[in-house]
Amino acid sequence: MNVSSLKKRATFLFVAALFTLPSCKKDAVHISSDFEGLKVPSHFALPHYSNPENPITKNGFELGRRLFYDPILSRDSTISCGSCHAQVHGFADHNVALSKGIDGKEGTRNTPALSNLAWQPAFMHDGGINHLEIMPLAPITNPVEMDEDLAHVVEKLNRNATYRALFRAAFQVDEIKSKHLFFALAQFQSMLVSANSRYDKYVLGTDDFTPEEERGLALFRTHCASCHQEPLTTDYTYVNMGLDMHSADPGRALITLNPADSGKFKVPSLRNVGLTHPYMHDGRFYTLQMVLDHYSEGIKQNGRLDTRLSAPLYLSPQEKEDIIAFLHTLTDYQFMADSRFSEPRN
Amino acid sequence: MIIGVLMVLVAGCKKEENNPPAPKEGDFKIEFEHVWAANMDPFDLNSKLLHPKTGDSLTYLTFKYYISNIKLEKTDGTLWEDEESYYLLDLSDPTSLVLDFTNVPTGTYTKMYLTLGVDSARNVSGAQEGALDPANGMFWSWNSGYIMIKAEGLSPQGTGGSFTYHLGGFAGPNKAVLEKEIAFPTAGPLSISPNGTPTIHMLANPARLFHTYGSVANGSVIMAPGVNAGTMAFDFQDWTRLDHIHP
Repeated sequence: MNVSSLKKRATFLFVAALFTLPSCKKDAVHISSDFEGLKVPSHFALPHYSNPENPITKNGFELGRRLFYDPILSRDSTISCGSCHAQVHGFADHNVALSKGIDGKEGTRNTPALSNLAWQPAFMHDGGINHLEIMPLAPITNPVEMDEDLAHVVEKLNRNATYRALFRAAFQVDEIKSKHLFFALAQFQSMLVSANSRYDKYVLGTDDFTPEEERGLALFRTHCASCHQEPLTTDYTYVNMGLDMHSADPGRALITLNPADSGKFKVPSLRNVGLTHPYMHDGRFYTLQMVLDHYSEGIKQNGRLDTRLSAPLYLSPQEKEDIIAFLHTLTDYQFMADSRFSEPRN
Repeated sequence: MIIGVLMVLVAGCKKEENNPPAPKEGDFKIEFEHVWAANMDPFDLNSKLLHPKTGDSLTYLTFKYYISNIKLEKTDGTLWEDEESYYLLDLSDPTSLVLDFTNVPTGTYTKMYLTLGVDSARNVSGAQEGALDPANGMFWSWNSGYIMIKAEGLSPQGTGGSFTYHLGGFAGPNKAVLEKEIAFPTAGPLSISPNGTPTIHMLANPARLFHTYGSVANGSVIMAPGVNAGTMAFDFQDWTRLDHIHP
């Protein structure tokens, strides 16, 4: 670990410590006692994202939450982040392969579920976005998503007295800049921590698995966990999983310009995977059964297949059922029902 | 009233303690002039220009590029570094082509360092402001990184009669970033003093985009990093040079 990342971690710990100070200190740090900031789950590593310039505060987080659900970010005020990232589906879309953006336009990739984003080093199926803060720039400006100009979003926010007051409260600024918009959204996104599934409780020793789930976990650890590394259930690498002989979507190669990366996509987190169907970068598989059938018997030897997938799994029907039973333990109902993350009512 | 009295008192205090030291700082400017091709004819947006090497007819409607990390060096190696040194030069805005620097320690500087483009660190550091604000339209949304040079315009040689070159990439062999070291003439180095504001007069040549790349007909749209973007950017950045220092 280099010095700067040590520094970052130290800063993060310090900031985290501020938020966990007893309530008697609340005046000193200007944080209301009911706001705990980002709590790092005990079985997680420290997050990848932390910006000493953008400590998570109640005001910043609440502003980010409001922005996440506000269609003001789109050209015609019809699409918000929450339009395609629904909390009840683990912040994936409402079980559609391809989401509908502005004017009903359709993209080419499945809306990813959102959780534990502060641990994620790069974003999008191709990993093209290298920082949590500037992630929202893509959907805001994408012509089939929100189709808005960033400068215009900033102008609209500055025209809005409510937002001016909220940004002033969060960042002590009179003029809103794109940086403050991104900071607020990064605070909200950082807080989307999913770590209270039955899987987590099992790992922490506070819940039991059924025999089926136990078997599923063992199979998962044998066959899946080298990419879907616990506890975040991803290693954030880019993998060609033999979906096609020739991928219509270049995937990672769009970013690296390396033809060898064609058809590679980021290993997604499996958290809440039971609620985020359909699956794969293009939403081609509607059920978990179809996904397992692919890994078991359906992988195409396309010459670019990830070496971790070179041998077909040939899982038995029972083994597939066991794995699926385990995957459902990754559903975090507390996360799904957490009122801190829901659309604000005011 | 009270504040006024206080200010007088404070000022009085300072005077009594010691005489004001002679100012040891001064100002300077860097001015970018844009010329066209080998003859260094005047370059203007919205005017039809003939590229002598490719034969293309080109009307630039937009030409913007970044420079960053300006430093000055004295003969003894002392460095002055500009803080938060990021500038977006936009040819549609003449004020953006003259950079003002203040509070520079006095003395004779013999060298300047600058980066054409934005250093890699700021391409991976999240939300930025000022010249680096993504709202300036010089940051790719889908493949994080700055557009180091943006050239758009009309050309009968281009598909649909236009050209669009968004040149970027901050790492690897095709990066569109060039660090330059510019030695000032021995006879006329940059002399910073409390009196006067010397100007470093730079030349840049948008025709250079096509020096190796060739005609717009070879591809009139580039909007991603890559070999061609790297080549076009390098040829432009490599040519960019000092013309003279106006004392």
